[in-house]
Amino acid sequence: MSIESIQLDKVSKRFRLGAANEYGRLTEAIASGVQNLFRTPSKPVPKRPQHAFAERIEDGWFWALRDIELSIQSGDIVGIVGRNGAGKSTLLKILARIVTPTQGRVGVRGRVGSLLEVGTGFHPELTGRENVFLNGAILGMPRSEIRKRFEEIVAFAEIESFLETPVKRYSSGMAVRLAFAVAAHLEPDVLIIDEVLSVGDQAFQRKCLGKASQLGAQGRTVLVVSHNLAAVANLCRRAVLLRDGRLIADDVPERIIEQYLSEMRSGDGQRHWDDDDSAPCSNELRLRSVSVTGNGTDTPASEVDIDQEIHVVVEYRVLVPETPVSVQIHVKDETGSFVFWSANAPSMNLEPDPWFGKPHPLGKYRSECCIPANFLNDTRYFVSVFLGPEVGVLAIRQDSALSFVVHDTGAMRQEFTGSWLGPVIRPRLNWRTRKL
Amino acid sequence: MANNDEPIPPMHFYGPTDAFGFGQLSEIWQTRELLYSFFLRDLLIRYRQVVVGILWVLLQPLMGMLIFMGLFFVLGTKAGNSTVASYAPIILTGMLCWQLVASSFRDATGSLVNYRHVVTKIYFPRLLLPLASLMCAVFDFVIGSLLLLPVCAITGTSIVWTTAWLAVPIALWLIVFCAGCIAWLSALNAHYRDVGYALPFVLQLGMFVSPVVYDIERLRALLTDQWVWLYEANPIATCIGLLRWSLLGTALPSALGIATAAIVTLLICFSGLAWFQHADQQLADRI
Repeated sequence: MSIESIQLDKVSKRFRLGAANEYGRLTEAIASGVQNLFRTPSKPVPKRPQHAFAERIEDGWFWALRDIELSIQSGDIVGIVGRNGAGKSTLLKILARIVTPTQGRVGVRGRVGSLLEVGTGFHPELTGRENVFLNGAILGMPRSEIRKRFEEIVAFAEIESFLETPVKRYSSGMAVRLAFAVAAHLEPDVLIIDEVLSVGDQAFQRKCLGKASQLGAQGRTVLVVSHNLAAVANLCRRAVLLRDGRLIADDVPERIIEQYLSEMRSGDGQRHWDDDDSAPCSNELRLRSVSVTGNGTDTPASEVDIDQEIHVVVEYRVLVPETPVSVQIHVKDETGSFVFWSANAPSMNLEPDPWFGKPHPLGKYRSECCIPANFLNDTRYFVSVFLGPEVGVLAIRQDSALSFVVHDTGAMRQEFTGSWLGPVIRPRLNWRTRKL
Repeated sequence: MANNDEPIPPMHFYGPTDAFGFGQLSEIWQTRELLYSFFLRDLLIRYRQVVVGILWVLLQPLMGMLIFMGLFFVLGTKAGNSTVASYAPIILTGMLCWQLVASSFRDATGSLVNYRHVVTKIYFPRLLLPLASLMCAVFDFVIGSLLLLPVCAITGTSIVWTTAWLAVPIALWLIVFCAGCIAWLSALNAHYRDVGYALPFVLQLGMFVSPVVYDIERLRALLTDQWVWLYEANPIATCIGLLRWSLLGTALPSALGIATAAIVTLLICFSGLAWFQHADQQLADRI
């Protein structure tokens, strides 16, 4: 049985650049209306030539999506893959009917449930019980169905004794559990899930994915946006790749992921933000560059040898005097599996970082993390960088800031010539055998 | 479990179904349970952490009535010159109607903006949010109306039972008028926040342009006929006048005034529906 469940005909979406509410004041709207009336040419919007999005900007409009053609059969589980800013979230919002396309049309068969956020509409003043009904209704569940499944939802969330307590007194974990419990009992014909759902802990992530595959097995259509490529590969039967607002590939997940990764591969082991506006920044800090050096030199390289130390170098500027700074890196592999994370905190380091926890005077700083030689496997790794006032507090996050490939030089292959494919790391460890 | 016996739902294409926004009405009917949930939420939130709780519904119009009675007593003037009803029930009907208008306008105007975190995360007919605010105001109105009975009994005013039933359709008229206005106000406020700032002044003015604390007869003595007609083109003024007539037996607003007010109401409602649909198209981008 294959019935078309979602259909997108040449869907495009553009947003006005600059302040989102450029026409946010009535006087301006009237002024602009008068301007149009007399056909006064509008002021040209200054363009930023080096901007990565330059080709998507047109007369002060930004094309988030362009000419998306997509048709999805019921029962399909489809992953949407693409870099940050490729238009994934906009596509989801259009499918969820939150945003109206500028051009083209969207058709959906049956009830649509969208989970772009856990606990949408939760009100802190209302009790757990009241919030279950409110949130369920917002997600599109009929009251009778919520009533029928109420016990189940409460049991799932494990909050029986707090039912009559206002949600504002809940711990954040309890609130998320309750919100997810409601969402998990949603049974729409089409379910749209954003990856923000998977920011929770591992168990929570598994629950989300489990729910999605269960719905798919029931013949419902599921659409997932995720950076977790392993999840996309496991869960989906089909994936689409977005680049710069266009749908450029539509295939089985394995091939889409391959193509996506090969796009990510471009890069020379460093990333600079020359433009002060485009650099990731907070009120106190601004990221300047991230680079990887290896091979025993100081030159950034996207390919490093397995038997050399690898240095991840983060440069940033302190904008407010006496700001404490902690630098953190996350390293993931191609499938999205988390390899390790590290911060410049003394107890996590072999030698304490002299600047850790100290107020930083204004100026530029350079933090370097050394990954030992003969530790990573010969595969590609993605580095995310986080800056904040202390470990665990993230003021700036730059996901997948860059990637690098570890090359097998043969240093660990004197005795074994087979494949090392599979393990995430390949540490050189101590072994000792004794005769007993 | 998706059952194979279930009829296959039709492919539904997003977007306006008609230029006038009538499609929104059927959608609201389909999602009436959510409307009820929003209404319940607004109602529950309002009286959380409040000691006298729901009693505020009665206290608010009562206090308004007492303040204005006191004010006119101090000034030594009479705000009404009706011979059939004493001043207290006249001013109470005015206060009840005015609080319906003022609180629905106030709450509904902010409703979309205050819930933008929901509006930008999930779809539902957006008109539900201002309508839920209106339902709260109607709830207060209905409960508050019960005050009329003791107030009439105490002041010795007899309710005109032969025409009292007409109060229901008249109140419905006022509610429909409010619905049209809040469709305009809430969507305007989502695009232009100025509306929220200007509203308190408009409401203050509106209270004195409508016969809230005086009655129409008093005004007739001051104005010539064509001005009375213009005055009665304001559906709030006409509805209050009609309510007082049906319940208390005061003078009826002029027929021309009633007709004009009805036309104004229809115009505001239809244009409000069309405008809301138009504004809704860009709501998530702009809000």
